[in-house]
Amino acid sequence: MMLASVIQHHVLNIVGGYVLVLGSLALFTWRMLGRARKLAAQLPDKDKPWT
Amino acid sequence: MTESNVLHTGTRGSRIIGILALIGLAWMVIFGLLISPPDEVQGDNVRYLYLHVPAAFLTFTAFGVTAVSSILYLWKRTRSLTWDRIAGCSAEIGVVLTAVTLATGMLWGKLSWGVYWRWDALLTSTALLLVMFIGYLALRGLEASPEVRARRCAIVGIIAFLDVPLIHFSVNWWRTLHQPQSIGPSKTTFDGPMLLSFFVSFVAFVLVYIWLMMHRNRLAMMEQAMDDHGLQMAIAERHAEVTA
Repeated sequence: MMLASVIQHHVLNIVGGYVLVLGSLALFTWRMLGRARKLAAQLPDKDKPWT
Repeated sequence: MTESNVLHTGTRGSRIIGILALIGLAWMVIFGLLISPPDEVQGDNVRYLYLHVPAAFLTFTAFGVTAVSSILYLWKRTRSLTWDRIAGCSAEIGVVLTAVTLATGMLWGKLSWGVYWRWDALLTSTALLLVMFIGYLALRGLEASPEVRARRCAIVGIIAFLDVPLIHFSVNWWRTLHQPQSIGPSKTTFDGPMLLSFFVSFVAFVLVYIWLMMHRNRLAMMEQAMDDHGLQMAIAERHAEVTA
């Protein structure tokens, strides 16, 4: 019972927080890079000064 | 428009920063969840420190970059749409970081105070910051000439940033549930593995912010180029109609 309570505390509350933060950043990154890829396919290289 | 083989916004520099950021985040997870010892008072809840505090610091930094870029746009000698673009990119990342800060703060608050939310000065002013910068992003989406939009957004960005010092000092000015600052240039209330864990997560968040800014800025450049191409095509079509 004690072990279950400790696991619940750690897994749900603390590890869950880490998953939430890293997941949010990953989702934002994924959407941003997806949109960038889509636009990059439609534009000539002269519009991409980093290339 | 020509088809392109370059389908990414990466460069050698951004890849190096990205890899370092990933290593930093992995270290943050290992240090934060496994290596850092529990706090004497907070126990394992202190592991939220390594997420919440760097995210909050980077929130202020991101909106600070928006405010400084907005000032540089409004100042005639440095006026350039580049500053407007940087302001917009940083505000977008800042909104994500504010949401992360609020979410981790609520989860940490539930463990420490027993409640997710209280309408106290710090929490309310942070929620207000999020709402104001969501409004700022909405304003950026409104139809207007680039110059008009940039001027409007610069003014709103500077006004919204005025909430940041209010948030920072609210723990000293008013009675709030939130504890006062526990780390700063002149004082820290923890040391050893906890300080190292904090340092690792802080560096990781800074690298993530720099990496996101590089890519978001390049995406914004392409969005602007697409708008310009669209306008040129519309003018060409109109011209063809008139001459036909």
